[in-house]
Amino acid sequence: MKMKWMTTTAMAAVGVLALAGSASAAGELNIYNWGDYTSPELIKKFEKEFDVKVTITDYDSNDTALAKVRAGGHGFDIVVPSANYLQIWVKEGLLQESRPDQLENFKNVDERWVDVPWDPGRHYSVPWLWGLTGIGVNTSVYKGDINTSAIFLDPPEELVGKINVAPEMNDVLFATIRYFGGEWCTMDKDVLRKVRDKLVEAKAKWLAMDYSVTEKFPAGDYSAVYYWNGAIMRSRLKNADIKFGHPKEGFPIFMDSVAILKDAKNTDNAKLFMNFIMDPENAAMISAFAKYSNGIKGSEKFLPPEMQSAPELVIPEEFAKAGEFLLSCEPETQQLYTKIWTELQK
Amino acid sequence: MRRSRFDIRAQPGFGLITLFTFFALYLPIAALVIYSFNGAESLSRWDGFSTRWFAAAWQNAAVQDAAIRSLVIATWAALIASIAATMAALATTRTKPYRGLTFKYALINQPLMVPEIVTAVALLIVFSRIKVWTGYSGLGYLIAAHTAFCIPFAYLPIRARLESMDLTLERAAADLYASSWQTFRYVTLPLLRPAIIAGFMLAFVISLDDVVITEFVKSGGQDTLPTYMLGQLRRETSPEINAIATVFLALSTALVVIFFFINRKKQ
Repeated sequence: MKMKWMTTTAMAAVGVLALAGSASAAGELNIYNWGDYTSPELIKKFEKEFDVKVTITDYDSNDTALAKVRAGGHGFDIVVPSANYLQIWVKEGLLQESRPDQLENFKNVDERWVDVPWDPGRHYSVPWLWGLTGIGVNTSVYKGDINTSAIFLDPPEELVGKINVAPEMNDVLFATIRYFGGEWCTMDKDVLRKVRDKLVEAKAKWLAMDYSVTEKFPAGDYSAVYYWNGAIMRSRLKNADIKFGHPKEGFPIFMDSVAILKDAKNTDNAKLFMNFIMDPENAAMISAFAKYSNGIKGSEKFLPPEMQSAPELVIPEEFAKAGEFLLSCEPETQQLYTKIWTELQK
Repeated sequence: MRRSRFDIRAQPGFGLITLFTFFALYLPIAALVIYSFNGAESLSRWDGFSTRWFAAAWQNAAVQDAAIRSLVIATWAALIASIAATMAALATTRTKPYRGLTFKYALINQPLMVPEIVTAVALLIVFSRIKVWTGYSGLGYLIAAHTAFCIPFAYLPIRARLESMDLTLERAAADLYASSWQTFRYVTLPLLRPAIIAGFMLAFVISLDDVVITEFVKSGGQDTLPTYMLGQLRRETSPEINAIATVFLALSTALVVIFFFINRKKQ
C-alpha cells in the first residue's frame, strides 16, 4: 500500500511541475541567445527594475537559431545573431526594424560599432559582445615584434613547434590572405596559391590546432597562439609572461548583436532590454560574465579590476584599420577556400 | 563451460579485439568521470580530489531547471509510451498473423529507422504551425515528440515477453468465463509487469538522453539537461559540465542495471 501512495505522490508532483507556469510579473520577455552567454545578474537586475519575467533559451549555432525562427511559432522576442548572419536575418524579413539608434542610451555605443557593414546605422541591432582573433606570445620564449601574423605564418626559430592555431577556417584564411595583401573573398589565383603554399609550409611548424588554449598556453605547452582575445586574456591572468598582439596585416573581428524578431509578442519589453544593455554599467555585467568586450563607451570602469586595463579587450588606434568583419563570400569562393582548408587538414 | 574448438568465442584474437573495444568505448567516459572530481578549473590537469564542481552544478539555477524539466518530460514520455507500447504489443502478438502485420511492426519501430535529424526537422515544421494556430507552446510538444520515439524502446521488451509467454493461462482464464478484460487485468498484466517496467525504464533513459529532436522542438525556456550542456560548449568547458555528465551517467547506468535485473529475474 505504501508503494502505491508513493507512486501517486510522485505522479502528482510530476503533474504539477509539468503544468506550473511562469511566476506572476507585469510583463514577459523571451530571449533566444547562445548558451553560457547571458549574465544571470544582468537578467535579475532587468527583471527587478521593470517587473518583467525573462526567459532565456539557449542555441548552439547560428544555423539552429535561424532554422527555428524561420519555421515560426517559436515565441521568442530577442535573438543574438553573429555579424556574418545578421544580413540573412534581415533579408529573410525575420527581424523588426526597431530603430534602436533612436533609443535613449544609443549615445553610449562606441562610434566604431555604429556604421557596421551588416547593419549600417544600427536600424536593427545593438552590440552584445565583440572579440577578435589575435596573437598571443609567451614573452619569456620570444621577445620580438608580436603584432604580426608572421608569428604563426613565418614563425621565428624560438617558436617553431610550439604554436597553436585556432581550427577556424575563416579566421586562418583571412589572416593569410591579408598577409599577402589580398582582400577577403578574393578569387585571385596567384594570392590563393601563395596562401595555400604558405599554410602548408607553416603548419609543419605548428604544434596543434585545437581549442584548449586557456589551459595549455599558460602552462607553457604552447609558446604562441593565434586565437580569440578573451581566451588569451584569461591565459595572461594565469601567466604574466603572455602578451597580446594585433596582427597589423589584418585580423578578423566577430560581433554578436541583439535584435528584435518580427513576430515578437513583447516588443516594448524587448526595446526596454535593448536600451538597458546600452547602459555602461549593464553592458559591463555582460562582459564580466563572458569575458569579452561590449562596444559600449564608459563601461570600462564598471568591469572587474582584472578586465579594466586588459590590452586584449581594446583595439589600439594604430591597428583599428586592420580589423575586419568576415562577411560570407560567394558560394564558389567559399568552395575554393574550403578546398584549401581541406588540403591543410591532411 | 568447456568451449569447443569451433565455438565462435574461441577464435584467436577475439580477446584482444574485445579488450581494445572496451578501452576505446570506456576510456573517454572514464576520463570524463575522473575529471569531474578535479579540484582545478581544468579538464586536463589534475589538481587534487574535490567535489566542488558537483556543488557548483547543484547550486546552478539553470542546471536545476533543466534537470527537473528533463525528468518531467522523461516521466511523461515513458509513461505514455509504455501504455501505448503495451497495447501495441498485445495487438500484434495476441492475433493470428495476417497481411499487413509486418507493416505494422515497421510502423511501430519507425523511429528506430528514420534518422533523428529528419524527424527533428519534420517535427519543427509541423509543431511550429500548430504553435502559431493554437498559441499553445508548453511542454506538450516535447512530451509528444519524446513519446513518439520512446514507443519502440518500450515496445520491444514487452513484445518479447508476450511472445515467450505461454498462452495456457490466458486460455484457462477464458475457460473459466473470465471476460477478456478480466483475463487481461488478472492474468496477462501481472505476468507482463516486469516487461512493462523494463520498457518504461528504457524509454525513460532514451528520453533523458535526447538532444537533436529536443533542440528543434523546444519552445522558449524549455532547455533540457542535454540541450543546456550543448549550449555550454560554445565557450571552453569547465569541469562543471563533467560533474553534470557524471550524475547523468550514474542515473542512466542505474536504470539500465535495474532493467537488467528485472529481466533476469523473469527468466
